[in-house]
Amino acid sequence: MAFAIEKRAVTKWLEKLLEAGEVVAPVRTPCGDVLFSTVRSAEQVVWDFPNPLHPPKEFVLPQTDPIVKIRRNGQHHEVEAVHDGTRRFLFNARSCDARGIAFLTRMHEMEPADASYLRRSGNLTVINLACVTPCPLGFCICTDSGPFLSDSYDAQLTDLGKSYLVEVGSAKGEAAVAEAPSLFRKATEDEVSRRKNLEVAARNHFGEETCHFASAMRRISTGRVPDALWEKMGDWCLECGGCNLVCPTCYCFSVKDLDRDGTWIRCRLRDSCQYAAFTLEASGHNPRAQRKDRMKRRFFHKVSAQYYTRDGAVGCVGCGRCIKVCLGTTDMPAVVAAIRKGKWHE
Amino acid sequence: MNDVFLPDIAWLADVCDETPDTRTFRLRFRDSKKGEDFHFLPGQFLELSVFGYGEAPFCIASSPTRPEALETTVRRTGQLTNALHKLGEGDEVGVRGPFGNGFNVEAAYGKDLLFVAGGIGLPPLRSLIWNVLDERSRFGKVTILYGARTPTDLVYKQELNEWRKRSDMETHVTVDAAQPGWSGTVGVVPLLFKKVIVHPESTLAYVCGPPIMIRIAIQDLLALGFREEAIISTLERMMQCGIGKCNHCAIGHRYVCRDGPVFNYGQIRELVE
Repeated sequence: MAFAIEKRAVTKWLEKLLEAGEVVAPVRTPCGDVLFSTVRSAEQVVWDFPNPLHPPKEFVLPQTDPIVKIRRNGQHHEVEAVHDGTRRFLFNARSCDARGIAFLTRMHEMEPADASYLRRSGNLTVINLACVTPCPLGFCICTDSGPFLSDSYDAQLTDLGKSYLVEVGSAKGEAAVAEAPSLFRKATEDEVSRRKNLEVAARNHFGEETCHFASAMRRISTGRVPDALWEKMGDWCLECGGCNLVCPTCYCFSVKDLDRDGTWIRCRLRDSCQYAAFTLEASGHNPRAQRKDRMKRRFFHKVSAQYYTRDGAVGCVGCGRCIKVCLGTTDMPAVVAAIRKGKWHE
Repeated sequence: MNDVFLPDIAWLADVCDETPDTRTFRLRFRDSKKGEDFHFLPGQFLELSVFGYGEAPFCIASSPTRPEALETTVRRTGQLTNALHKLGEGDEVGVRGPFGNGFNVEAAYGKDLLFVAGGIGLPPLRSLIWNVLDERSRFGKVTILYGARTPTDLVYKQELNEWRKRSDMETHVTVDAAQPGWSGTVGVVPLLFKKVIVHPESTLAYVCGPPIMIRIAIQDLLALGFREEAIISTLERMMQCGIGKCNHCAIGHRYVCRDGPVFNYGQIRELVE
């Protein structure tokens, strides 16, 4: 179902959403950076922006995610699961990030389902702003996660000049529109066809050299990437874990109890498979002590056919954030290209 | 939908020294109903919480045939295990589980069983050993080969003596380095293969210990004529969540916490790091 909303009416819609719950959107900080943050007013939401370095996964899978509250009472302890049932609207997310959240939700739905995550994602309405102009580092076209989406959103906005086309993709999307029904009208055929043309134009914006997964997947899945190549790429990795921390689909974690005024909060903390201690056992034995093995692990998890079969997608949404953060250039397109060509770029 | 990370509270009903750095903890659920509903297989593991520190995986060292005594044997080696060792009888811990596939006990009915363990590798096998001994008539010959660095480092010393005295099983113990008063065998565990007669075609071998010992023992078993499927081991990995989510224990697309920790050697060879 497609609606349209005049641009000048969007502020009113946002105000209604702010009454209904928390609104998370890209905002510009006083220093000029753009990041996803909870907003207090509709004016804070930016509409023309580079995709923030940190994906909005923070709002379904926070970096420090409280999962269990542990209270001490003398010698006894009481434990209680921490529930976050806040209704949230993620507004103006990019297509890749909407796809990232859909990926994470599928992961956490797998048996045994993770109630802590699903409670958050179940209360989150994802409203993405389709990318009329793809971002310079993005390669979402290779991962089927942009520039426009056909699913994975609750509502998708397309900038049509004076109005936004609003495609509703779920009951949560319908409910978001229903917060201010008078602001919306049914989209005209012309508007729907303009959106299609914009999508075609956006797709044509991508260059030839993006990220060709197929042959890399074939080689990774069958163990045909030479050890020497992993070693070479491992040499370039600085083990900072940045790629994992900014990746919309990475979800590996560790668990620690943090002391909060005498109560312990057991937290799930983001972890990185690129850290040497990720697989370090208490005995001192470390099955992935070498960087090349950890590099191999990261790309096996993201690109292998074994995981593709399980997850229904590669573990990449083509957002290009790893290209931006990796000082060693071992980002997704570079590694995929090296595997495809059989040599590292040096 | 369950809160998969919410532990149950248990208290330490008994704490017993095994070696200077290893202790056996007997757990009892605070909610006795939970204790009655807690069913497990030998070879499965628990996520044990030491409140204020977090949680870590430990194998269940006791047998499901003795549900009243849920035990785990832990070596003091890091922050969490140090904190656990400071706890005494009556202190509380958190328990999640049981997790993992465990040993297939029924598949071992009628077979000869050979247990090969080194150091702290005996506890997961002890769960199966007592299960077998409590249903002794269902199994063929039972042989235990066990070794540790020194006589002090042997775990379950009393049980080893008990097993040695039993006529329905054969137990051999060795140490890498003798201490005064040790009159038994000196040498690494695989040397004990020379002391026993095994029939590879009708025997299942269970191997657990440090990686180097496992490697050598498996080579020797293959040389003796064991099929890959008849050599069974239980792998150790840094299993943080126990439910295949955190990815610490992933090997390829397999998860030691869910697909294992028990694998036969054929399966282990197929795991690609």
